[in-house]
Amino acid sequence: MRMLLRRLGVYAFTAWVTITVNFILPHLMPGDPIQQLIAKLTGRVTPEEIRAIKEQFGAGLDQPLYLQYLHYWGHLLQGQLGTSISLSAPVAQVLGSQIWWTIGLIGIAAVLSFVIGTFLGVVFGWTRGSRFDSVIPLATFLQSVPYYFLGTILIMAFAVHFHFFPLQNAYDQYLSPGFNTTYIWSLFRHSQLPILSIVLSSLAGWMLGMRNMMITTVAEDFVLMAVAKGLPRRRVIFHAARNAILPSVANFALAIGLLVSGSLLVEQIFNYPGVGNLLVQAVGNEDYPLLQGIFLLITFTVLGANFLADLLYYLLDPRTRTATAH
Amino acid sequence: MKSIQIPRSPKVLIGFGILLVFIVLTVIGPWVAPYNPSSSAFIPNLKPSWQHWLGTTTLGQDVMSQLLVGCRATMVVGFIAGFVATILSIVVGLAAGYVGGRTDEGLSLLSNVFLAIPGLPLLIVINSYLPSGEQANPLVVGLVIALTGWAWGARVLRAQTMSLRDRDFVEAARIIGESRSRIMFSEIGPNLLPILASSLLFTILYSVGVYTTLAFLGLTNVATWNWGTMLYWAQSNNAALANEWWWVGPPGIAIALVGTSLALINFGIDEFINPRLRAGGLSARRRRQLGVARRPRLGFTPVQRITTYPEISTIPVTSAEGIAQ
Amino acid sequence: MTEQTNILEVKDFSVNYGYGEASVRAVSDVSFTLGTSRVLGVAGESGSGKSTLVYGLTRLLRAPGVISSGDVILNIPGPDGVRSFDMLAATEEEIRSVRWTNISIVLQSALSALNPLRRIGREFDEVFRTHDKSLSKDDRKARAIELLAMVGLDANRLDRFPHELSGGQRQRVMIAMALALRPELVIMDEPTTALDVVTQREIVSELYELRKQLGFAMIFITHDLSLLVELADEIMVMYAGHIVERAVATELYNAPRHPYTLGLMNSFPPLHGQREVMTGIPGSPPDLKALPTGCTFSPRCPYAMDICREKVPPQLPLDNGTRLVACWLHEPSVGAAVPVELSKKFVSNAGGAQ
Ligand SMILES: Nc1ncnc2c1ncn2[C@@H]1O[C@H](COP(=O)(O)OP(=O)(O)OP(=O)(O)O)[C@@H](O)[C@H]1O
Ligand SMILES: [Mg+2]
Repeated sequence: MRMLLRRLGVYAFTAWVTITVNFILPHLMPGDPIQQLIAKLTGRVTPEEIRAIKEQFGAGLDQPLYLQYLHYWGHLLQGQLGTSISLSAPVAQVLGSQIWWTIGLIGIAAVLSFVIGTFLGVVFGWTRGSRFDSVIPLATFLQSVPYYFLGTILIMAFAVHFHFFPLQNAYDQYLSPGFNTTYIWSLFRHSQLPILSIVLSSLAGWMLGMRNMMITTVAEDFVLMAVAKGLPRRRVIFHAARNAILPSVANFALAIGLLVSGSLLVEQIFNYPGVGNLLVQAVGNEDYPLLQGIFLLITFTVLGANFLADLLYYLLDPRTRTATAH
Repeated sequence: MKSIQIPRSPKVLIGFGILLVFIVLTVIGPWVAPYNPSSSAFIPNLKPSWQHWLGTTTLGQDVMSQLLVGCRATMVVGFIAGFVATILSIVVGLAAGYVGGRTDEGLSLLSNVFLAIPGLPLLIVINSYLPSGEQANPLVVGLVIALTGWAWGARVLRAQTMSLRDRDFVEAARIIGESRSRIMFSEIGPNLLPILASSLLFTILYSVGVYTTLAFLGLTNVATWNWGTMLYWAQSNNAALANEWWWVGPPGIAIALVGTSLALINFGIDEFINPRLRAGGLSARRRRQLGVARRPRLGFTPVQRITTYPEISTIPVTSAEGIAQ
Repeated sequence: MTEQTNILEVKDFSVNYGYGEASVRAVSDVSFTLGTSRVLGVAGESGSGKSTLVYGLTRLLRAPGVISSGDVILNIPGPDGVRSFDMLAATEEEIRSVRWTNISIVLQSALSALNPLRRIGREFDEVFRTHDKSLSKDDRKARAIELLAMVGLDANRLDRFPHELSGGQRQRVMIAMALALRPELVIMDEPTTALDVVTQREIVSELYELRKQLGFAMIFITHDLSLLVELADEIMVMYAGHIVERAVATELYNAPRHPYTLGLMNSFPPLHGQREVMTGIPGSPPDLKALPTGCTFSPRCPYAMDICREKVPPQLPLDNGTRLVACWLHEPSVGAAVPVELSKKFVSNAGGAQ
């Protein structure tokens, strides 16, 4: 329990740091990007919108910094993330409508790649020294391919050249969303290639890590004991795999950050709706309020995923439950 | 103090080989590039030919030249960011692991924070605030990348330092009265080398990946060439939809090859750090040479009767392993 | 006590590590038989090949271990007479069928031998479920509780994880588990070395009782000869993979014939830890890659003669063939004067184990 509370503390602190960094960054940057933005926008947008931007980055830019900071917090606590410049809509609303696409796509892909990668790692770790070893160079290569590049290649091969999959978008643009089979089928078909590219590029990492851990664990005495007890091979492998998976779960923090970062760009490649696509747009339009909102959202989601992984670790390893102070 | 003896497996050698090629290209790339990479004087959309080994872009530029010229910025930023991040992680990791107490708590918290914040989105935010002059400066971008990439290394180094701190030889140095910083860098440091090397490889890998991604997003100066900008131009001209594989393919494959070479070298370091990954590693080829029928399996020790002993000279094997199942 | 059958017959058994020229021989031409319900003690310094021997016999030895010669026959009593089981010719599935049902093993470190993520009860349950499908869940639990009681542990230990038990408790759990299916042969590889002396003695006397009660045969490995006299019927002393002396336990202990056995007895086993400091014998065990010619013990032997450094000593039967000693001192044709400490008379009516 103590361990979980500790982690929770770390995440709360991280959340605070993220929010503060978000606030302070524009003020720290050379050349004051906010003033530049306002200068650029003046004349193009209404004075009201200019005021909204000023509000967003602190209530008016003539107040002392700490007051601006307090105002910023006040807005955040009311769920106000400001107004998107390029979309002229509240950031919170924009994100709320797009986040589910991202969670659906990346969530499914992440779970698939973890499950498949871990399974393959178990098999390849157990059969180390066999012909299967030859997949390692290939896996290493796949692991190094940027997600968005793999996505591009898959589009070229399977959508442009062979027409196996639809090219872009989340569903057929002629359809109107609704709870009917045509629409759902279209959703399903359009999600396949993006999911495939995320899974393919992130799978190898889980696989290689799990393979190493499996090899290390198989050398432990308790695995030999499982053999000595005459357990069927399947059970022996399970004994080892159950232990070998712990470091994978512990490394989730690093992996999930990389996975989310990599996947965001896949959305853009496939012109798939979602936070990643918004992010790219926001960058292109210098839409700072939207950019900040996206950053907060992604960070908080990743923190949440991290905490879930901690929870899982806690459930998987009895030693963390009874451990004395550590 | 032992030096690192990375096992010379084919994997490691190939890794070094690939890396060497790219390092050479980093140095000579811009000189050997056949054309000016920005010149759009050629017929657009040419497939690879003798004039244009990797074809031309929709804008009529030579892909080969872009690849060669772009190698330098990509590698230099990757390596600078990797080295700076590793230095940061050494300082933080060693201090946290060796000093312990409050220092450790503070530094560990700091690295946990950096570990939990996803790097790429943070970088995108920071980068988009940078004035466009700074965005174009690869050095600035590299330093910003380093700032987000040190935490993992620091964490591993801290753990290793803590386990080394209590070993005999460090104890001995403490008793002799050597200073803290001396112990840290001359006693503990060398024993951290394998982990350090591994973490350096990974931060370079991370940096190359992140830098090209930022460039792909158009967040670096799109007029200076690196592999990410090549992909940026390919993407914004719909090269994939036009099936222009000679344009899209080379930069992506180059990025992946650099990554692969670093990961392959890391296999060797892994085996050095964790001998279990090495032991019993009879490759299939070596087994065949020795006449070993199949991979040894846990709980089924092979029986391979040797008739003459100890005069094993050429082929000591008379019968293959026990009874095949 | 009359022996009708031998549970285990081992002949010319050798084990190598590695293949081809790079291989070393860690166990050399070991032969012995073990009678039903008898206890064989195996002693020797660290690195003498004790573990390699027993893991090899059970085919549990990990790569790069290879069995390079010999026969290992297990005589398994059954409803229709004794069945001879050839460990080295059997298939993987056949070997699996004798594991734990007929042979079980206890390892040196109980902590690493128990899966850290599992409750003790689940480990017992798994053993029963694998080997006896007819038992119900409650039966399995009852059997596990009964087994724990045999080694003096409370039933509530079943719900514990390994890290929640003390070292002695863990080893007791391992012993209880080894006896779960009433095997004919139990192998114990230094089961007490990681424990403190008091617990060591307790466990050894428990083992003694259990064996009297259940009648399994046992191979017991240790550094500590004094522990073996209490437990073993026969003792085998190993050095650099060879058997240097084999005799009835009390005879070997009271009247050693091999200089190495003598040295081993004079060395004090450490209270903690596995590594033996041989105060009785100067020097350290040889590197298997560079074994000395002749007798492998000759460089450290205070009685070494020229012939010892040149020729490998044969296994000499001594004391009316009740013991085997591989030492030139005892070969009449060499004509060496056997030192008094290696030629003590022993009258065996003094009684063996207490
Ligand atoms: N994997 C291996 N490769 C090469 N040699 C090995 C290997 N494992 C063990 N050996 C060697 O085999 C010899 C016998 O080792 P073994 O573990 O059987 O000794 P032991 O008598 O059980 O020692 P201890 O009392 O320390 O358990 C040692 O000299 C050891 O160095
Ligand atoms: Mg041993």
